[in-house]
Amino acid sequence: MNGTGRAVTRVLTVAGVPALLVIVWQLYSAASQNFYVPAPGRVAQAFAETWFSERILDDVLPSLARLLAGYALAVAAGVGAGVAIGLSPRLRAAAEPVLEFFRAIPPPVLVPLIMLLAGIGDGMKVLVIASGCVWPILLNTVEGVRALDEVLSDTCRMYGVRGLSRLRHLVLRGASPQIMAGLRQALSIGIILMVISEMFASSSGLGFTIVLFQRGFQIAEMWSGILLLGLLGYVLALLFRRLERRVLSWHSGRGVGRA
Amino acid sequence: MLEVSGLRKVYEGRRVEALREVTFQVDAGELVCVIGPSGCGKTTLLRCVAGLLPPTAGSVKVAGAAVTGPPPRMAVVFQEYGRSLFPWMTVRQNVELPLKEKRMPAGRRGELVAGSLAAVGLADVADAHPWQLSGGMQQRVAIARAVAYEPQVLLMDEPFAAVDAQTRADLEDLVLALWRDTGVTTLFVTHDIDEAVYLGQRVIVLSGSPTVVMEDLKIDLPPERDQLTTRSLPRFADLRGHLYAQIQRARGDR
Ligand SMILES: Nc1ncnc2c1ncn2[C@@H]1O[C@H](COP(=O)(O)OP(=O)(O)O)[C@@H](O)[C@H]1O
Ligand SMILES: [Mg+2]
Repeated sequence: MNGTGRAVTRVLTVAGVPALLVIVWQLYSAASQNFYVPAPGRVAQAFAETWFSERILDDVLPSLARLLAGYALAVAAGVGAGVAIGLSPRLRAAAEPVLEFFRAIPPPVLVPLIMLLAGIGDGMKVLVIASGCVWPILLNTVEGVRALDEVLSDTCRMYGVRGLSRLRHLVLRGASPQIMAGLRQALSIGIILMVISEMFASSSGLGFTIVLFQRGFQIAEMWSGILLLGLLGYVLALLFRRLERRVLSWHSGRGVGRA
Repeated sequence: MLEVSGLRKVYEGRRVEALREVTFQVDAGELVCVIGPSGCGKTTLLRCVAGLLPPTAGSVKVAGAAVTGPPPRMAVVFQEYGRSLFPWMTVRQNVELPLKEKRMPAGRRGELVAGSLAAVGLADVADAHPWQLSGGMQQRVAIARAVAYEPQVLLMDEPFAAVDAQTRADLEDLVLALWRDTGVTTLFVTHDIDEAVYLGQRVIVLSGSPTVVMEDLKIDLPPERDQLTTRSLPRFADLRGHLYAQIQRARGDR
């Protein structure tokens, strides 16, 4: 197969299923005349009108900024506490029951609580996002640090690798596969919490805007907001995969090497 | 250089007595092998000597100083080569890390790393990752790291137990060559009688549990060792036969 042929095949593979979905959507909306399911063309138009405007600055960027701030806070707290707990058996014995408890609470149950807390301002929303993201990061970091190889640990002791150097070269790198798994879970939780925290008692943000459209029966606009959220999640996941591939190149390479 | 006296180790919990009473010493520049049946406490002994494991009783001294933690000028080559190298570092970084921790200047560090990698024949894979190498090559990296560290005492725990016979012979000769060049005091643990006789100036035989030193045997072979000629000496066969009988006895005692 020549180069162009291959490129065409690739585009077809990547774009095929989305195109199919849009066609189905088009057919359904034409056939059903359902007011709540506007045609894709109408939604695309609404998308352009709604989001290529000052809304990017007023709603999208603040949402993203809160998401990133909350996520960063959760990463710092989760990895920091996770390393400490993972390294110390005594700390672990003390913290384990509490962690298990928090792990057992299903996140949607927290929505009423979030409604109470999140409205007050940016800070509270950031905290809500952080407090939801921190658990998978924390628990996975503890697991990763606990599973550090003893021989490697002994090697560090023999060759005088201790303190910060040990943290950097042994603990964080050794636990990085689990830490990355935690970070990935936390990212999707963060997006959900970003939206939910803006849906109640808020005056800006993506979640707020979507609810606003819904209440005003601007259905195409509402759909365009959902579409934007989907795209956002997709791009963030893509960026995350690139980061993960860099951080864990040794890990995936080793897996391939063994197979 | 190395004095082990009255060493006893009981693992708490299951209360396994891994070592009963082990006493021996190694002079500066000597290469001494330790053999004993599997599970008799060789690894335990080595970890106590390395300061990685606190003994239940008795003491270990290195250059006159009591060992309470890993001594600064001691290097270890572990049995599990696949787990003793940092998989996220290249071969060069693995060898270099301990030197960086010693705050050695970059120039000298580079020389030592290059020199030790060349000595083990791995100069051309310095930028590979350990998992891209064969088992024998990985163990060479671990040896290069130990040599670059410029230790006073080198400990090796069955380092070649998991490599094929030809690689093993090559690695044995590598250890001998490095030991001659550096004069480092070496304690080499193995369960292989031939290997012990071929490498050692002395062989210390551990009994089966309860573990004590059963024999401290001088290997009176010519100092120049060669895989073919040394192993076919009548004296080599004598020593091997003698040690074989000892190990059988050690097993039987249990
Ligand atoms: N961490 C440990 N806890 C309890 N028992 C152990 C531990 N490590 C080794 N042992 C026991 O101590 C004995 C000696 O083990 P080891 O030193 O590994 O022997 P070798 O290296 O000669 O095969 C064995 O019976 C083993 O089961
Ligand atoms: Mg052992």
